[in-house]
Amino acid sequence: MFTQLTSANFATTLESTKEGVALFYKKLCPHCKNMEKVLEKFSGQRQGISFYSIDIEEEADTAKAFGAERAPTILVIKGGKVAATKAGLMNPKEMAAFYDSAKA
Amino acid sequence: MDAAKQFDTVIIGGGIAGMTAAVYLARANHSCVVLESNITGGLCNSTYTVENFPSYTDINGMELMQKVRDQVDALGVPVEEVCEITSLELNGDTKRVHTDEGVYEAPTIILATGRKPLPLEVPTPSDQVHHCAICDGAPYKGKRVLVVGGGNSAFDESLYLMQLGVAHLTLVEVMPRFFAAEKTQDQLMAYKNVRTMKETRVHDLVVEHNVLTGAVLENTQTGARETIPVDGVFVFLGQLPNSRLFAHSITLDKQGYVLADANMQTNIPGVFSAGDINAKTFRQLTTAAADGTIASLMADRFLRR
Ligand SMILES: Cc1cc2nc3c(=O)[nH]c(=O)nc-3n(C[C@H](O)[C@H](O)[C@H](O)COP(=O)(O)OP(=O)(O)OC[C@H]3O[C@@H](n4cnc5c(N)ncnc54)[C@H](O)[C@@H]3O)c2cc1C
Repeated sequence: MFTQLTSANFATTLESTKEGVALFYKKLCPHCKNMEKVLEKFSGQRQGISFYSIDIEEEADTAKAFGAERAPTILVIKGGKVAATKAGLMNPKEMAAFYDSAKA
Repeated sequence: MDAAKQFDTVIIGGGIAGMTAAVYLARANHSCVVLESNITGGLCNSTYTVENFPSYTDINGMELMQKVRDQVDALGVPVEEVCEITSLELNGDTKRVHTDEGVYEAPTIILATGRKPLPLEVPTPSDQVHHCAICDGAPYKGKRVLVVGGGNSAFDESLYLMQLGVAHLTLVEVMPRFFAAEKTQDQLMAYKNVRTMKETRVHDLVVEHNVLTGAVLENTQTGARETIPVDGVFVFLGQLPNSRLFAHSITLDKQGYVLADANMQTNIPGVFSAGDINAKTFRQLTTAAADGTIASLMADRFLRR
């Protein structure tokens, strides 16, 4: 479900994404695995959203540049821009509310 | 509305206790489902290295739980993760579990919801905040640690940290006295490199470049603040049993743990409980797995009666 991005293509992918969610994660982080499942559930309820994942440790510069050093951090993308950023675990309801409250 | 999904047993909680129960039930040819509010693995997922589970000298907690999960999957047991249980109907021959995924029905239920440590409430998060000295203490040999809490586990785990060889330990308690046994208190305070502080709370943590470097302590009486250098924080503010969901019908002890008998039978026929959620003395992976085994074998007996 997730397209894995790197520093090389993150910014360009973001610019061309109308609606999307990026998950910044670390390996061996249980909350990140959890957030992945939450997003899987969220994706089942919504159409037309692209899902991306980025490894914080491997893409440290990008994580820093987007204020996503804590794992997990979620970026909501709307109209090619970051509309909202949030670190920490959310449940599916909180995720849906967070997504909807983010303004392009 | 969709029809209820029928099983022989619904297992609530996908930690080691719940997953062990699933393995036994599936092997006994019973249909069961694991309903998990987060992801399977439970508390063990956040243990970096497990060194006391028979089979591996040492293994990452999440990796160990993935192996148990693989076993559950191989047996074809359905697992619903990120599943929100809204209510339970436990009385009667058919038990009902209402969730955001629909209704599950079964003649038997295994409660395996575990517990969660009370978190340290500070504005700045840090990866160097831990809840178990035995699990996460080793890297702090020769380093400075802060212990939060003044009860038995805080003092016991502090003694463990001192034996490991931490360079300095500060223990803070928000109340005007410590609650640990006098003898344990004396033992810890006999160390020259231990400082204990009452009426003190952790105001915040100091994190530089993602690494913890200090803690801001505040005297609750005077409001005076002091920043001390620390490399790690161990939090022992107590645990909360995850029993709210069934507190209305299952007999719990004063702390909220399930009072099950030696066969994991609760006060309701057909409802069993296993693992850390039970009132008991030792809470480890092996004991939770053992409880899960007993609960599932009892459920098997109940189903065949
Ligand atoms: C930091 C730490 C380190 C530890 N290290 C070790 C160690 O090295 N060795 C060892 O043997 N033990 C260790 N333990 C203890 C061990 O983790 C526990 O004894 C064990 O995880 C208990 O298993 P359990 O299945 O009973 O509960 P848990 O592991 O807590 O699993 C319960 C599951 O139920 C789920 N749940 C809760 N409520 C609901 C609900 N309403 N609906 C659906 N699902 C729900 C939870 O999300 C969780 O996944 C450690 C504990 C901690 C806190």
